[in-house]
Amino acid sequence: MLSRLVLVSGHTLKNSGSFGACLVQASRSFHQSSQSLAPVPPLPEKGGKVRHGIFPEELFTLLYPKTGVTGPYMLGTGLLLYMLSKEIYVINHETFAAASIGAVVIYGVKKFGPSVATFADKINEDKVAKAQEVKDQAMASLAQGIEDEKKEQWRVEGRHMLFDAKRNNVAMLLETNYRERLHMVTNEVKKRLDYQVELQNLHRRMEQEHMVNWVEQSVIKSITPQQVQRI
Amino acid sequence: MMVSFFDQFASPSYLGIPNIAVAIALPWVLYPTPPARWINNRLITIQGWFINRFTNQLMLPLNVGGHKWALLLASLMIFLITINMLGLLPYTFTPTTQLSLNMGFAVPLWLATVIIGMRNQPTIALGHLLPEGTPIPLIPVLIIIETISLLIRPLALGVRLTANLTAGHLLIQLIATAVFVLLPMMPTVAILTAAVLFLLTLLEVAVAMIQAYVFVLLLSLYLQENV
Repeated sequence: MLSRLVLVSGHTLKNSGSFGACLVQASRSFHQSSQSLAPVPPLPEKGGKVRHGIFPEELFTLLYPKTGVTGPYMLGTGLLLYMLSKEIYVINHETFAAASIGAVVIYGVKKFGPSVATFADKINEDKVAKAQEVKDQAMASLAQGIEDEKKEQWRVEGRHMLFDAKRNNVAMLLETNYRERLHMVTNEVKKRLDYQVELQNLHRRMEQEHMVNWVEQSVIKSITPQQVQRI
Repeated sequence: MMVSFFDQFASPSYLGIPNIAVAIALPWVLYPTPPARWINNRLITIQGWFINRFTNQLMLPLNVGGHKWALLLASLMIFLITINMLGLLPYTFTPTTQLSLNMGFAVPLWLATVIIGMRNQPTIALGHLLPEGTPIPLIPVLIIIETISLLIRPLALGVRLTANLTAGHLLIQLIATAVFVLLPMMPTVAILTAAVLFLLTLLEVAVAMIQAYVFVLLLSLYLQENV
């Protein structure tokens, strides 16, 4: 894992710093394929596999063909015993301090490791979820827009019925209006004619009365005194 | 040459290279630059979350003029906390145990806050020397006391950090030596002492983080008074 740290920090060292740019440009001539910065290649899903927290799995895979499963463990034990017996590493007070801090670190990692990892994953997932929500909302609103548009088109098809009804209304109004005026006209004409008829009736009545009066007058005038004496 | 306990107070060097140079450069390696990606790996996500959260909290009581100090204070905090925590590992050298480094941080930053205060708002900055509601006869004495308190601040900042870390490291080494020496003679006592050592290590982890935080918090407080 520390080797991986060196590799990663070496890479960042190459990319950052004032001489980093020159290094990148200089190494560009060594690259055979065409360089393109987009699309950015995806990160691996999980970190490198490690055994016992610090030893990369590649060490075990490297040693397996020659020494089998117990190879790396024998190497570790041998190295440790060699350094102890030859006093390359001297046990002193710092060993116990190292044991103490090692216990604290291992306890911390075992206890809080998974929760911290899920916390980090949750931060990233929230980011993705927010963006996904925006996308889903946009898609939902567009689908809703399509639905509304289809509904409007269906409504438009029924428009001719509305126009027919309106046309009928207007025709009825016109018809009613015409009939009213016709009615009014007949009434007026009838009134005029009635007037003339009444006038003629009046004339005839007046003539009749006049004739009756004249006949009465003449009869009264013609009643001579001898007729009066006779009665 | 036997390693003595007082060697930690001297700045060590190995093969002519002072260890402090390597120790100061080490935190930079542990905080990689975030790549130009939207979703990062767990390490960068957590580091970014922590730095954002911390800076947000630190800048809350400051007005807009104080926000210029955000980068400085946040990077100082990350630097100090990383150095303190790395110093708990065995066979390491903690630069913050050196008074020179801590005074080198405390004096210029404190002086900057004082000069900013005196230059921009001298009345308010001098007004801090007299707390509200003091009885009239006490005023001269209090001004002197507050001035001394002001001038001692950089010393306090530097020495607080140095003393805490040095004392902690010294204690760890002493108790570890006690365990080492007692183990062949009285194993039971050695085991008890080892338990004490374990608890002390836990305390030192806490102290490492708290002291870094207190350093930066006090600086932000001094800034708040003056900006």
